[in-house]
Amino acid sequence: MSPETHVIESLPAYALSCLDEAEAQQIAEHLVGCAVCRKELAAFQAVADQLALLAPAAAPPPDLQDELMARVRSLSAMNRIPPQRARRPFRQSLRPAWGIAMLLLILALVVTNLLLWQRVNRLEVLTGPQGLRAITLSGTEAAPQASGFVIMSADGQNGALVVDAMPQLEPEQQYQLWLVRDGQHTSGGLFPVDESGYRGVRITAPESLLEYTAVLITIEPAEGSPSPTGTPIMEGSLHNS
Amino acid sequence: MSDSKRDDATLMRLVAQAHTDAFTELYERYNRLVFSVALAIVGDKETAAEVTLDVFVRLWQRAGTYRPEQARVSTWLTAITRHHAIDILRRERSQPEANETNWDRLLLPSSATNHELEEDVALSLQRERVRSALAQLPEEQQQVLLLAYFKGYSQQQIAEALKQPLGTIKTRIRLAMQKLRQTLQEERPSPDKSERTPAAYYKDENKRGT
Repeated sequence: MSPETHVIESLPAYALSCLDEAEAQQIAEHLVGCAVCRKELAAFQAVADQLALLAPAAAPPPDLQDELMARVRSLSAMNRIPPQRARRPFRQSLRPAWGIAMLLLILALVVTNLLLWQRVNRLEVLTGPQGLRAITLSGTEAAPQASGFVIMSADGQNGALVVDAMPQLEPEQQYQLWLVRDGQHTSGGLFPVDESGYRGVRITAPESLLEYTAVLITIEPAEGSPSPTGTPIMEGSLHNS
Repeated sequence: MSDSKRDDATLMRLVAQAHTDAFTELYERYNRLVFSVALAIVGDKETAAEVTLDVFVRLWQRAGTYRPEQARVSTWLTAITRHHAIDILRRERSQPEANETNWDRLLLPSSATNHELEEDVALSLQRERVRSALAQLPEEQQQVLLLAYFKGYSQQQIAEALKQPLGTIKTRIRLAMQKLRQTLQEERPSPDKSERTPAAYYKDENKRGT
């Protein structure tokens, strides 16, 4: 990449998160394909992070720790699924029978202590009861904080996608799930995310999910695309590595 | 960090396995840092306490996603704290003002307060290096950095608050960060194994609003 196509001059502001939305999105898309700028960003981000140390020293209220531990115990009782997540409505365009079944799948995974959210860093395929499979997905460099997983039935005929901490999109954009096989991409559906970047949706696929090797999530126009055109945000292999 | 204490990466691994003693140790180690950052951003203790609570709950929930090779735990925590606090600030804010923060407090050399004495020694030394590096910048560059970091202002908002051209603000931010980077790299005592990598952490709190 030639020097004039780098965005190094914008990286200090990007590291401070003080660019406007449009410019920040452009930088993020550029970073996906530019190792030079990613390295520079890392250096500027290290500087930005240290500005936190300028905050005058202060201590929280002494009873905050008790309140924290009470909340942690409560979360532990729910097997580390946070209360706010359990309250989230699981919006889905599903037939009622499958909708209930999918909720039961998720609860089953919770009960068997598969600890999905603790493993979102690593590509893992976890197997639960009745052959249910849960595959963790990883955020790309454009969205390293994003996390998610795919749950599928043993025969791959039914599947669900759950994502969290996805970047907010412009009104004219949506996320699109892609099912990948032999370099070909089949759309698995379009979905928005809520203000916290969370979404749970059913995966629509013409064939069993077992026929595909990977999933990919990209940013696309609101009406979707026939093939991936936008920034990759999340990816994962559907098979054991 | 003291050799007699478990290191942060070990504690995070234990927290990921639901060890509350390790979680308590991390809280005791970093609650003041987190609260300080939150308070410097949101400005009131009650909200800062809520932010602190939320940050440590998130630590408990996401300890398994922490990667020691990408950042120190302190950096991880302050990044989450900053973005969470700025989210709150942006929701409550109408018009940006340049004089909302007592900048003098941010730039004073650290005195040996009880809180700072309780801090990790390495953290205290790092704090001094950053303060010293910032103090070497022209005042106008210090101001834009602090507005961007502690108030979550965009460059446009900073320009409006300071009644300066946008291009001037962009230049000040760029020059300030470049100088800080140079100064902090020159003063770094030893290679930092946990230097941030590009695929870093937690820009999810980057819900930027202009």
